[in-house]
Amino acid sequence: MEVNYLTDGPVSQETISQLIEKMHSRTDSGGNMIFLGQVRADKINGKKVKAIEYSAYIELVGAEAEKIKKSVFAEFNDVKSVDIIHSTGIVAAGQISLLVLVSAGHRQDAFQACSKTVELIKQNLPVWKKEIYEDESHTWK
Amino acid sequence: MEVKVLFFGVLAEISGTGFKHYYDAKSIGDLMHRIHDDFPEIVHYNFRVSVNSEITDDDRLLKSGDEVALMPPFAGG
Repeated sequence: MEVNYLTDGPVSQETISQLIEKMHSRTDSGGNMIFLGQVRADKINGKKVKAIEYSAYIELVGAEAEKIKKSVFAEFNDVKSVDIIHSTGIVAAGQISLLVLVSAGHRQDAFQACSKTVELIKQNLPVWKKEIYEDESHTWK
Repeated sequence: MEVKVLFFGVLAEISGTGFKHYYDAKSIGDLMHRIHDDFPEIVHYNFRVSVNSEITDDDRLLKSGDEVALMPPFAGG
């Protein structure tokens, strides 16, 4: 089954709820870590960020996300599942742009594997962001 | 012989459309010369080049139907 790692716009509360609901069906995990990446209203040179527009090499995201998961499973034996959902399009300040849910048998691997997953996403997921300021000017990151 | 070039991140903005078709470019090196001629501003940016989703170098030979992507450093999260 092809997994969809991208969502158009912010990660919704419904998506988060659905993943937690799915988590309940697991009975082999005792520790679950959820990371929610949020758009910050940074102030840069006196201008405030009102949103980030994300773009992605969509055809490559799936393969890279699978590699990230494979790498995390290889490093942390106790990890049972890894879910990744990243936004594309506009995400306003305060909204969620990245969700990572790692389920593991015990908490230590859940903590560490979640952190590792987020780092690998930052390094390897083909996603770009454009910070949009309140005056409608923008900067590519 | 036609290849499609995809531009991402800031390079998408520079290219205007995010993609462009090029004809009879023999190698990535050859193709990059043409891209620089079309969009001189890209010389100011760092990016990696992939062919059909594989990172590659200037010596790589191209064939018809290849998809080339110009990718600035990733910035997800």
